[in-house]
Amino acid sequence: MVLKKIDNVIPKEQTAREQPPEERALLFRLGVYVRMRWLVVLGIIGCTLVASQVFDIGFPTLPVYIICAVIALYNLLFFRWTQSLQKEEAGLVVKKAQTQGNIQILVDLVALTVLLHYTGGIENPFIFLYLAHTIAASIVLPQRQAYILATLAIFMITLVVFLEYADAIPHINLEGFASPDRYKQFSRVVGILFAVATLVYGCTYVVAAVSGELRRRQREMVRLRDQLLEKRTMELEQASNEIAKLEDERRRFARFLGVVAHDLQSPLVATQSFISYILDGFTGTITDGQRDLLERGVRRIDGLLTLITDLLDIPRIETGQIAREMREIALNEVVKRSLEGLDNLAQQKGLTLKVELPESTPKVNGASRRLQQVITNLVSNAINYTNEGTVLVRVVDSDNEVLVEVIDSGIGILPEDLPRLFNDFFRGSNVGSKGTGLGLSISKRIVEAHGGRIWAESPASETKKGSRFAFTIPKKLMAAPEEKRK
Amino acid sequence: MKRKPKILVIDDDVDLVAVMKGTLESKTYEVVVAYNGKEGLEKAKNEKPDLILLDIMMPVMDGFNFAEQFGKDPSLAKIPVLALTSFSDSLGQPFPFQVAEYLRKPLKPKELIAKVEEHLKRKGL
Repeated sequence: MVLKKIDNVIPKEQTAREQPPEERALLFRLGVYVRMRWLVVLGIIGCTLVASQVFDIGFPTLPVYIICAVIALYNLLFFRWTQSLQKEEAGLVVKKAQTQGNIQILVDLVALTVLLHYTGGIENPFIFLYLAHTIAASIVLPQRQAYILATLAIFMITLVVFLEYADAIPHINLEGFASPDRYKQFSRVVGILFAVATLVYGCTYVVAAVSGELRRRQREMVRLRDQLLEKRTMELEQASNEIAKLEDERRRFARFLGVVAHDLQSPLVATQSFISYILDGFTGTITDGQRDLLERGVRRIDGLLTLITDLLDIPRIETGQIAREMREIALNEVVKRSLEGLDNLAQQKGLTLKVELPESTPKVNGASRRLQQVITNLVSNAINYTNEGTVLVRVVDSDNEVLVEVIDSGIGILPEDLPRLFNDFFRGSNVGSKGTGLGLSISKRIVEAHGGRIWAESPASETKKGSRFAFTIPKKLMAAPEEKRK
Repeated sequence: MKRKPKILVIDDDVDLVAVMKGTLESKTYEVVVAYNGKEGLEKAKNEKPDLILLDIMMPVMDGFNFAEQFGKDPSLAKIPVLALTSFSDSLGQPFPFQVAEYLRKPLKPKELIAKVEEHLKRKGL
């Protein structure tokens, strides 16, 4: 059970590949660029309409709309492409996404440059849109690539502006917005280009530095997480090996105890059988003196057999046998079975054995044979140490636990004996040397293995005489915390 | 005359087997003995006893293993098995097949004979 659980915790094989944060961020950003581009297309159309219709600025609008269509078209391709990246193999995603980022921005730069050329070149205040591209590049790309793209942007705008300046290509004047000779004013052209270049490089520097740092931290975080996970996995594996070893040792020990029990008890059992043949007259009649001695012998062997059983019970309980025997049991039945044979014993001593059980039987998680052993032990003690009156066995059911009481009207327990009652080999000072002195200590171990308590009082508070032994068994010992977790 | 009922005693304790054999033979039963589960299984197949007395704790195939093998053989299924449990044998595990009755050791001879007679009578012997 335990081993199985640990196996589940260790991720042997991941069914669906988990996306590392860096990939996730990169793909997210590419997605944002694609969405932004739709807005940009709408923005260009809007600006063109406003400029030409509202402000009555004169420039050919057809090329602008054609460029918008081209942008929309390649954006559709980029949209498909980002989606296909989601299914890409691990390890390749970052590289491919960066390549795509490069291409996206490069194509945008070309589109912007062409657009700018058709809308006034140096006259158009949207010349500063290059900043947006270099910022976008610096966010998704490594620093070097971001600088290359920034340089490329500056080169492209400078190229267009100077080609227009040198009349190598026609200049389109924004009529009514800028004076038609502005593109020929050298100092103005250089000034604006210088401002654009400075801002482009400045932005690239700041954004690349910040996003580079963010990427480094992200990688560091992933590395630390992986390290931690690996360590955990190793620890869990170690722990499960340890558990397997302990379980193996426990099994070997249990087998050893089994052999010890068998080898110690078999000769005694055989001897008792032989004596019982003589006692039963199978070997001829025997005198009363012989019978008396043989019967004493049988009783002594009985005592020794009990001692061996008790001694071997202790390691069995302490190595967790009870937990393995636990299942849901009906306590009333356990009590009834425990008392089989004991009512005869009580009758022989002229005692009344009274049993009070709740109407509906309390259900607890327990080892029925072991609880039976506890009740039998307590009741037979009560009968042994009571000369007249009653022995009462009572089961009281409450919300969280079940209480089992054994109350007698017997000789009671000396106050100085009470604290040592449940110690190994303890025998009461007022009872002679009956028993092994292990019965109560074993009962205590059994009850505690169930998560319960056992105690004694003398005289019994209820009757002011004899003694009262009581123990509790919690209901649903194992199940409760598990259910809470669910 | 009716044939003698045949009883197979399986127990690793040589002395105990000897005494049980003597007791049962004194009551005109035919007794076959085996000293471990493996031997017991062979004898059960070859001798076809009317009743088996089986000690549960034995070296070399204990009573549990014996019962497992025994339970698989339909030709043996009708033979009643009286299981002898020692003083503190853990019966925490379920026995792998239906045992006619558990008898606790030490077994007094009168009890032994009474139980054997009772189970044979049920079989009509």
